[in-house]
Amino acid sequence: MIEFQFDSLFNFLRMAPHGIYVWPVYGLGLLVIGGLAIWIRYQHRQAIRKIRRIMNRESIHEPKA
Amino acid sequence: MGWRWFHEWGSPKWFYDRAGRWQRVCGFLALALLLVGTLWGLGFAPADYQQGNSYRIIYLHVPVAFLAQALYVAMAVCAIVLFVWKMKLADVGMQALAVVGFGFTVLALFSGSIWGKPTWGTYWVWDARLTSMLILGFLYLGLIGLRSAIKNPDLAGKACAILVLVGVVNLPIIKYSVEWWSALHQPASFKLTEKPAMPASMWVPLLINLLGYYLVAAYLVLASMRTVILDRERGSAWVREVIERD
Amino acid sequence: MSVEHRFLVRELKLVLARPGDFFKPMWFLILVISMVPLALSPDSKLLGEIGSAMIWVATLLALLLNADQLFRDDFVDGVLEQWLFFNRPLFWLVILKLFCHWLFYVVPLILVTPLAGMMLSVPNDVMIALLVTLLLATPALTCFSALGAALTLGTARSGILGVLVMLPLFAPVIILAAGVLTRASDGSDILPLLALLGAFSIAAATLLPLAVGVALRLNIGGSS
Repeated sequence: MIEFQFDSLFNFLRMAPHGIYVWPVYGLGLLVIGGLAIWIRYQHRQAIRKIRRIMNRESIHEPKA
Repeated sequence: MGWRWFHEWGSPKWFYDRAGRWQRVCGFLALALLLVGTLWGLGFAPADYQQGNSYRIIYLHVPVAFLAQALYVAMAVCAIVLFVWKMKLADVGMQALAVVGFGFTVLALFSGSIWGKPTWGTYWVWDARLTSMLILGFLYLGLIGLRSAIKNPDLAGKACAILVLVGVVNLPIIKYSVEWWSALHQPASFKLTEKPAMPASMWVPLLINLLGYYLVAAYLVLASMRTVILDRERGSAWVREVIERD
Repeated sequence: MSVEHRFLVRELKLVLARPGDFFKPMWFLILVISMVPLALSPDSKLLGEIGSAMIWVATLLALLLNADQLFRDDFVDGVLEQWLFFNRPLFWLVILKLFCHWLFYVVPLILVTPLAGMMLSVPNDVMIALLVTLLLATPALTCFSALGAALTLGTARSGILGVLVMLPLFAPVIILAAGVLTRASDGSDILPLLALLGAFSIAAATLLPLAVGVALRLNIGGSS
């Protein structure tokens, strides 16, 4: 049931005759999902940075005990 | 007992901590499943007797397209929760789901259109499923636009919830009308209720990938929800504790 | 005078006070239609074939011109807030408002479409089908665009956002109407599709005012 369908790695990458369609789709998938993940991480960092800035500003203005 | 879970789920701090752990689990499981499913689908599943190797796009396209719709339904569930129980977390969920859902819709559209080239000979056909996916994409875009246009987050959340609910009632109507309109329609190849016509070596990797993409979506939604929570609760003490702890 | 009576009279007075808003959509429709032969070709056979679809889309766009204004003036000058204190449910007032909008702005626009049909040499029987589909479909379209307008009331300048948000939901109406027009042009039975279109319109006109009411209440509450 499970056996490699291609006789060489080269033929796997060529995936004749449809390699030019199949591989870009998976590349695009990686790009979109990876892009989303990275973008969300970036947003998360930005949010933390923003809160840090607010906290720093407040600690400067706080009267010293 | 009985109501404790409700209060916990209503507490952003509780969710923020838990979601961080769930997110990691989802991420690793998704990575493993997708690696297995995609390699199996690309290399080990037999070629389709009609479409040859081009059918291997199915292992990305079908789960992603399925999820693009499932995420909209999840958003509708959040909208109902927001209206009935006024749970703020549901609104955070809607905001995260809209962005992730839009990403999946775009991916489904592009992968479908690339698949269309070897199958139909052209990148875009006004096929029923492509068209209703396009409309779904516009709906997601409308939600993102509406939320970004309204400054007051409470108001934005409720306005989006109304739009989501009106959209979810309309989606089946849109789907059926588009299907009726389009003559170029092939029946869905994968239904959970019927025994699929594909051999097991073809549909098992598809099922693995479906699960994998579900978990990817969960990972992205949880991550995005945490960001939104952090941003919205930035005035509260627990957020400052979390940031100082890290 | 009952609330309904006063409501209708006020709406009529508002229309009479701003004739510009009344004529602008018609002007737009005729202008767009006269651009079609310039962009395509003056060949009347070709125009007759696509004319009905062109008129449909142009009418749709013309309808959207005033859609954003639906609640904005009433919201800005505080009339919407008073709606909450009428001894009538909010959705009933919404229905009244939408009915007035349909009657005073949409129906006159539809009455101009035969002129556009003549310009594009649309056959008579298709033109009649076009009029019927427009009359049946516009209540649903008005309700959808009202929801868009109500949802975007809270934004500083809503502009076209309400339209962009709602336009994808128009798809079933457009598809059904286009189906009627194709059937009318090859002479087959259009009644079943008209019935579907009417059913959709009735469902939209009864359910959407509720959603519009909720959206309005949100914005009225949010502004205070």
